[in-house]
Amino acid sequence: MSELYQKLEKIVTKKFISDSLIVRHAYSRVVDPILQGVPEIVIRPKDAMEISEILKVANDENIPVIPRGGGDDEFGGSKPIGDGGIVLDMKRMNKIINLDEDNLIATVEAGTSWGKLDDYLCHFGLYTGCMGPGSGMTASIGGGISHQSVGGGGCAKYGTCTNQLVSLEVVLPTGEIIETGSQANKFSKFPFNRFGNGPDLAGLFCGDNGIMGVKTKISLQVYPRPPFAAYKTFILPRKDRQTSSQIMLEVRRKGIDVYDLMYIMDLIVRIGCEQGMFPMWEQLKKKRGIMFYTVEANSEQELDEKVKQLDTIILNNKAEELGPEISDGNIAKWHYAEQGHWQFYHNLWGMVPALEPLSCECFTPVTMYPKILDDIDQWDMAHNEDMNKFLEVTGQRPITGSGPIFLIDGNNVELTCGFTSFPSYYNETIHEEWDDLNLKLWKSLMEMLTKWGVQWYMMGEIASRLMVEIEAYLPSYYKTLREIKKILDPKTILSRGKFDFWGD
Amino acid sequence: MSELKNIKKEWKAIMSCMGCGDCGYSIRRAVGRYLTCPVKEAKDDEGFEIYFSRGRMNVLKSVLEGKLPLSRELAEFVYQCTECANCTEVCHETHNENIILNTSKWIDHYKVWDALRKDLVEAGFAPLDRHKDLVEYMNREDMRNPYGEDNEKKFEWLAEVTNLKDKGDIVFFSGCTMPLRQQETLKNMIKILSAGGMEIAISRDEWCCGSIGARIGEYSSVEELMKHNIDLFKRMGAQTVFTACAGCYRTLKKDYPELLGGDLPFEVKHITEVMIDLLNNNKIIFDPAKTEQIKVTYHDPCHLGRHMDLYEIPREVVAKIPGVELIEMKRNRKHAWCCGAGGGVKSQFPELAKDISKERIMEAIESGADILTTSCPFCVGNLKDAYEDLGAEVKEKIKLIDIIDLIASKI
Repeated sequence: MSELYQKLEKIVTKKFISDSLIVRHAYSRVVDPILQGVPEIVIRPKDAMEISEILKVANDENIPVIPRGGGDDEFGGSKPIGDGGIVLDMKRMNKIINLDEDNLIATVEAGTSWGKLDDYLCHFGLYTGCMGPGSGMTASIGGGISHQSVGGGGCAKYGTCTNQLVSLEVVLPTGEIIETGSQANKFSKFPFNRFGNGPDLAGLFCGDNGIMGVKTKISLQVYPRPPFAAYKTFILPRKDRQTSSQIMLEVRRKGIDVYDLMYIMDLIVRIGCEQGMFPMWEQLKKKRGIMFYTVEANSEQELDEKVKQLDTIILNNKAEELGPEISDGNIAKWHYAEQGHWQFYHNLWGMVPALEPLSCECFTPVTMYPKILDDIDQWDMAHNEDMNKFLEVTGQRPITGSGPIFLIDGNNVELTCGFTSFPSYYNETIHEEWDDLNLKLWKSLMEMLTKWGVQWYMMGEIASRLMVEIEAYLPSYYKTLREIKKILDPKTILSRGKFDFWGD
Repeated sequence: MSELKNIKKEWKAIMSCMGCGDCGYSIRRAVGRYLTCPVKEAKDDEGFEIYFSRGRMNVLKSVLEGKLPLSRELAEFVYQCTECANCTEVCHETHNENIILNTSKWIDHYKVWDALRKDLVEAGFAPLDRHKDLVEYMNREDMRNPYGEDNEKKFEWLAEVTNLKDKGDIVFFSGCTMPLRQQETLKNMIKILSAGGMEIAISRDEWCCGSIGARIGEYSSVEELMKHNIDLFKRMGAQTVFTACAGCYRTLKKDYPELLGGDLPFEVKHITEVMIDLLNNNKIIFDPAKTEQIKVTYHDPCHLGRHMDLYEIPREVVAKIPGVELIEMKRNRKHAWCCGAGGGVKSQFPELAKDISKERIMEAIESGADILTTSCPFCVGNLKDAYEDLGAEVKEKIKLIDIIDLIASKI
């Protein structure tokens, strides 16, 4: 047992630390099929004080620390970059600390899942608004904040996870514990507002991809769930990319507080039907793009008015409404009423055995995504030879395009694009060259998108390093970011390797 | 490194697990999903990811890629899984008639764990100590049961039972747990069935069904037990073989045909399927003086529910008992919380098994039920052990009783 292990064991006691090779491999992967890093030690800390002590030891020993929430990210973010280091499994810290029913603020430990909080809130007629990341109800609230995530539903109305942030308790990489927002004032009785008392320091940790501090306690604004909702699905006319974009813009211009507005491109509809995945859309004569909306209201009258306005916009754009039931193709009802959360990704990702996503999920303006999608088509054709290498073995060519594209804050969408591919172990054979090939393709597509000016939010290992590698950051921005990191984390203990600050 | 021949066959399932982690953490009120893995939850703060499905799938990816060898240490983790198959349910939760989840065609976690256990056995890292004893007992000619009891003892309960035949269309397979641990329940069952006019055959030559061997991946002896039992049933003239044990039911009805590679020459039924026929034909006459109103909740044994899709018939049986109001626990049917006994956990890790059962008992109390019933002697045994640990306060709130005994108490 190493000296490091003994020091850490003293902090958390032996039940909550492991250097078992088996346990370490359990924490060595996230959602993508190629990136792996096996930690040296895995720890399940119980509170901020323990994390503070762990980080102090890590600084003394110069060993990197990687926080891991739900482990749902798709960019290699919550496992080590390369082997070694300490993984902090934050899921032990999963308590709902308080619900301030007057001010509608919930305070939780950072390892709490969005699903757990939402289940708790529902007993009070409340919900989180933005339903967290799209990876299911496993993702942690700390992870959502660290990635500015969206995708679970409600993001057209409420925006990304970080929009509802009120205050944070964060353990800095050197072990100091700070609180932000209203809690920066030691006389504050309870968290109530994010902004004020100086700069928005919470913002430094929103979307930091785990490099600036370990979030331990999070206060979120929560919302009353409106009692009325409507959900409709439409098939779009030809040129569905442009039409869907136009609809999103018109909805925003009209100021309708639509809860969800999602476009599913024709490729997904067509291939999904070919693979037998969408019986609800098989009756469609032309497999064109699909669009759905969900809208909420406090009264039937209000709901009717919103529905009328939304329908007018969509039908004027020559879309055709599908029937009201899920069996009629109304996927909006499936998401909102039956599943309670967007679950579409689960069905898309497993189209054929071992087909997994190499995601390039990013934010982009509504006006831009149709052109980006066209460019993605071109990229796919340009890489046909490489793609066919997978086809030759698997019988299935990787699929490039975008999953759901949905309205988020302002006039922006989350573009869940990328391609699906195969891991190096396929049909009882190891194809070692596939890891390199996948990585090359992944970075190539990501580079193309970066040059469209998209915003990466869940950056992890791959996107954060790529931005540096292709010199996409404005030098002044990157220099400032690096200097802030240097001040907070002089030894680059936390999430070492992300953003490649010192060629690490 | 071992040949890994069994888990290699499951490569589609292993490499299709994208690691969303819903098998560890998902809570989705809309579909009645409140967490999934009983082992991980029982581990509580010590619940490292290796204790639930995603962690093990990550490990198996490394094993298939040649980065990690099979080992005794891996076996120690793997055998703490109850094989309740709840991870498969949550993984397939978005599959329905309108939106198909293609992975539901090739991800079956139970098959993966089964394959891994077979490989661990073949590589010599399993069975674990206690499991080795059970297999030895099961194979011994003087025992043929995993409890290490003399074979004769298994049939002592028959001394107090009359009207049973040596041969006949309907054969009862008593298994091991009930005759060795819950004899009164068996006697009650015969009382009910005899009163219903059923003629039942039973043999003193039945051997353990082999369930424990199959669950721990030690199949070498299962085949011999299976052949013996099938030959026995044939000689007895069985058209139907029924059992009151969920584990035996799964083994006879699912494992035997799979191992044989074909259909059995008889039908296999669970006791609740037999009971419902009698109830529907008014052949169970309840005592009109015993109709006090009680609230009963039913615990789905994993080997009946998720493994065999038998959810409704036991409920129909309970609901037909006069005075009974059937109420559901928060997690029921495919979402039901495991009792903790399966997959060899009860024998190798008894405290873990009890911890899981305690959660289920508390859930039953939360439902407002007066009685927690189930239809598996293994569940009954484990729940009872936990029940005893929980003490007087819990006993005042709820009673625990096999579905057979519940009926017997009303006739």
